[in-house]
Amino acid sequence: MALLPKRVKYRKSQRGKLRGNATRGNTVAYGEFGLQVLAAGWITGRQIEAGRVAATHFLRREGKVYIRIFPHKPVSSKPLETRMGKGKGDPDHWVACVRPGTMLFEIGGVDENMARQALMRVASKMPYRVRFVVRRHGL
Amino acid sequence: MAIQTLKATRRDKIGTRYARRLRDKGQIPAIIYGHGETPESIALTAHDLSVELKQGTQVLSIDLGEGESQLLIKDIQYDYLGTTPIHLDLVRVSLDEKIQVSVEIQLRGTAKGLADGGVLEQGMNSIEVECLLTSIPEVFHPLVTHLGIGDSLLVSDLDLSDGVTALVGGDERVAWVAVKVEAAEVEEEDAEDGEVTQPEIIGKGKKEEEGGAE
Repeated sequence: MALLPKRVKYRKSQRGKLRGNATRGNTVAYGEFGLQVLAAGWITGRQIEAGRVAATHFLRREGKVYIRIFPHKPVSSKPLETRMGKGKGDPDHWVACVRPGTMLFEIGGVDENMARQALMRVASKMPYRVRFVVRRHGL
Repeated sequence: MAIQTLKATRRDKIGTRYARRLRDKGQIPAIIYGHGETPESIALTAHDLSVELKQGTQVLSIDLGEGESQLLIKDIQYDYLGTTPIHLDLVRVSLDEKIQVSVEIQLRGTAKGLADGGVLEQGMNSIEVECLLTSIPEVFHPLVTHLGIGDSLLVSDLDLSDGVTALVGGDERVAWVAVKVEAAEVEEEDAEDGEVTQPEIIGKGKKEEEGGAE
């Protein structure tokens, strides 16, 4: 089941713009290793869930997977073979807005080789270029 | 830890554009403050600095052409990917002054609780300590082999050397072995969540009630 919020104030939202780079949520905060996105765009709840499943299945019962993004933004779509107009379409799915540098997933409690392999499996589920990062210790 | 000497130059101009031009030339802007003296804007060579930072240096000796001065790295700003330093905050310190620094905690060994199906979680990756400039610990290496399921490693269990005081309460948890949630349980939870397909709209219920009353 794809991720989506439990309660929202409004059913639909405007598309918005994604300018600039990530200034927050761009460091490894919980685990030891992370997956950082290198492009700006939307990541759907299904893609996030696919990444989570890929990582947890590979790690089996070892370590811990942290998801650092959440799909807060509703995306609407019109039904097929519908003429334009007649108002905005119904909510179709939910997306997370990410900027270059945003940390998508983190893994802790496993060695680097395992974390790298797990996060590479997650990377194949992501719609943008990503890179593997290790927590920076100290300042 | 040996204190390294870096050559630096004073800079008169400040501001975003000038700092950007400096970075393009292979330099990193920095500021020196502390001890009630006037802050100084300086520029450091990016390559030399990155070499020092990779070694985990916390104290720099800066040569501005008037002799060396000991400076503690207070803060480092990185670019959006967290790879390249873009600015440094340096604080003036004296050798007999107690300073507050953050020291990394690296767990050592395999907890015995892992064999029983637990998972080791580290809640504290670094700890704030107070010590002299010359006695800054590089890293703490606490042993976790004795931790069973439900056991915790506390700040008071860390082996702090003489003259080093933790600024965090002794009963704060550094790491613990938690019970691993079974994969089957997670799937069950997912299945329960799967029933919800649309989120609840905040305030919608109220309006309907008001509308109904009218």
